[in-house]
Amino acid sequence: MIPAGLTRIIGLFESLPDAEKRESLISYAASASKHAPRDGEAFDLEDVRKDEECTDTVGVFLKVRDDGGCAFRITLGPQVQTLTKAMTAILCKGLDGCTPEEILNVPADFVPRIVGADLVRLRSQTVYYILTRMKGVVRVWSNRRRTA
Amino acid sequence: MSDKNYAHPDALVSTEWVAAHLADPRVRLVESNEDILLYDTGHIQGAVHIDWRSDLQDQTIRDYITPVQFATLCERHGISNDTTVIFYGDKSNWWACYALWCFRLFGHDKVKIMDGGRDKWVAEGRHLTKAVPHFNKGRYTALAERKDDEIRALYDQTLAHSRDGRALIDVRSPGEFRGEITHMPEYPQEGVLRGGHIPGAASVPWKMAVNDDSTFKSETELRRIYETEAGLHAGEDVIAYCRIGERSSHTWFVLTYLLGYKNVRNYDGSWTEWGNRVGAPIERG
Repeated sequence: MIPAGLTRIIGLFESLPDAEKRESLISYAASASKHAPRDGEAFDLEDVRKDEECTDTVGVFLKVRDDGGCAFRITLGPQVQTLTKAMTAILCKGLDGCTPEEILNVPADFVPRIVGADLVRLRSQTVYYILTRMKGVVRVWSNRRRTA
Repeated sequence: MSDKNYAHPDALVSTEWVAAHLADPRVRLVESNEDILLYDTGHIQGAVHIDWRSDLQDQTIRDYITPVQFATLCERHGISNDTTVIFYGDKSNWWACYALWCFRLFGHDKVKIMDGGRDKWVAEGRHLTKAVPHFNKGRYTALAERKDDEIRALYDQTLAHSRDGRALIDVRSPGEFRGEITHMPEYPQEGVLRGGHIPGAASVPWKMAVNDDSTFKSETELRRIYETEAGLHAGEDVIAYCRIGERSSHTWFVLTYLLGYKNVRNYDGSWTEWGNRVGAPIERG
């Protein structure tokens, strides 16, 4: 089940011709740094690491609000590819306010609908990576809450 | 580039040289990257984008485009047979070297690499633009057929080369060479069933040929790496390989242009072919 915010972004991309789709991806990539943690923000869980199969360090910061909605902040190392930066901004915006359960149920098959099938290559598989990391943090948070 | 004593110093140009030739009609800048959208985020003024996969490879068969398709590609970017093409890109020029090697398959010999690639240009604070240039259509006469025999090795040729005990250079990471991992460090698995290396291959990771700023090391340093340490001899018949042929294009460029070897071929099928091929001999460790 794809949350409403992400569905709106997917719908926008699907309506765009290829050239404008690329421009939108560039625009989202350029805005990725705006989703980094801000001074004074506190988080319920922080996961900063460099995985063997990723080109640089990625930090995922989760805050679960009182209403149960999640907010993410993400830091990306300078070597992270443009598509991954774009997906970071898209996911931070599209999943904002979703519950942990909604995030864990997001299927990954929406990615080609945003990026376009010809841009998803073996060497670009890290476009899926950010969602995997976000789900991982939510899963850990949920497990800790369950056992607390 | 003459201070580094390369065999073919004209095969490299500096960032300064490129900055001084942005409006030279005899020159066409080509950016070729691993990051598919990097060109769109900003590129050197006047540079066109050539993608290793969608522009240079056949979209169905694992092979390259035809000479006629190559001529069409060149004409679209305002490249004629006599245009000097300068390649640069990300990842220390992996894909720039790959694109240059592809151009040589089609007989385009007026090719050069911008030493240090995109990273050096950016590190020097030089200007990037998002404006996509448009050039008058080039006039390109296609070859009758690709020159695969000269600089490209296929599986059967590489197998015979290995059995004859001739020089093979594996440019992948040490872990891939030893068969401990089946993907590049920091990269996803690209679908290889077996790990290891081609029997008789020497391990010389591509990165040994470059400095921290992505420029190529000097001729003296390169001879120490490839000849003193890896055992190659000047004039030797060499095949280089990696996983899909891009890192080995980098080494092919080093051996061919910087050290002057005359018989170097790139096995572009590389480990994604060899490591999946039924019955292909493999060494580990």
